[in-house]
Amino acid sequence: MRPEPKATDGDIVRAVLAGDRERYAQLVERYRDRYARYAARMLGSADAAEDAVQDAFVRAYDQLAQCKDPNKFVGWFFLILRNRCFAERRRSRSEASLEAADSVAAADRTDGGAETAERRQALQLALLALTPDQREVFVLKHVEGLSYGEIAERLSTSVPSLKMRMHRAYDKLREELREHT
Amino acid sequence: MSEHDFHPLVKQLLDGDVTLADLPPELRAEGEAALRLLAAVDRRAVSVPAVTWRVMAALERRRRRVLPWLLAPALAMAAALILWILPAKPAAPAALVTVRFVLVAPDAREVSLAGTFNQWDAHATPLIRSGPTGVWTATLTLPAGQHQYAFVVDGVRWVPDPGAPAVDDGFGRRNSVLTL
Repeated sequence: MRPEPKATDGDIVRAVLAGDRERYAQLVERYRDRYARYAARMLGSADAAEDAVQDAFVRAYDQLAQCKDPNKFVGWFFLILRNRCFAERRRSRSEASLEAADSVAAADRTDGGAETAERRQALQLALLALTPDQREVFVLKHVEGLSYGEIAERLSTSVPSLKMRMHRAYDKLREELREHT
Repeated sequence: MSEHDFHPLVKQLLDGDVTLADLPPELRAEGEAALRLLAAVDRRAVSVPAVTWRVMAALERRRRRVLPWLLAPALAMAAALILWILPAKPAAPAALVTVRFVLVAPDAREVSLAGTFNQWDAHATPLIRSGPTGVWTATLTLPAGQHQYAFVVDGVRWVPDPGAPAVDDGFGRRNSVLTL
């Protein structure tokens, strides 16, 4: 028996727009964890990331008819989540630093040694000292593992400008982490 | 370039364009320190399973709020008509009735109850699974009168009560009706 082909994002978006609302859960299921990691590193807190991903999916549902190419739903969704993360960071910059330290430390108590935990925690706090643009390029390259070319395509920008942003981020991180490196 | 800046070649190392062996000996220590920084990057997965049902419940709640708005003018006219026809009477306190809701759903991970009595909030009234048979129950005390409701299975599937009469909700779905 041949397995049933997996529905593409485009198939699901078109079905939802045609009235099959519950199919939207498939898109949420498909992408929620992948983008929760991006949001967690951008916001410095897993709880804030969960709220951001939820809001972004609800917002994307509201604007689904504006998704020009349903086959590229995920790239379009990413930009909605990105805007949400940037807005959230502007709103609660000071609170997030404290939460970041707490959330990373709590996770590390059950996963990894004390030294690893300390380094991760220090880096997470240092990441929050970057500008959102710098942090984003660092997260996409070094957490999500995307190439400069892929990031440039996703953010509609050029590789040289991304590299400039990233190289400033490296210097800032080094300064923030002087006692750890 | 300040004293804290990485050497441009070390930045290329961090970008993955060159390896540690490509660096001149005087930059090796700086390169190793830079790689230690990258080794501390937290790449662990973040799992948010509750997001699926939270999103779907948020969409469902909003959809159900639309109905009263659509019906509001008609209901206002009906209420005005009733007040005009009926003589005024002092309002009696509403009696309370205890009701047990039961759903058999052996494969469900969670079941809750959403209805007119909790503003269709899919989080407000979770059912408790009793034993391994998949029987889910909740006991509520509700005011006498008519209530509409549905079970919410795993946060996404809205299921009418198989043991109660149902009415169309105006959006192509069925709500169960309970008259106390």
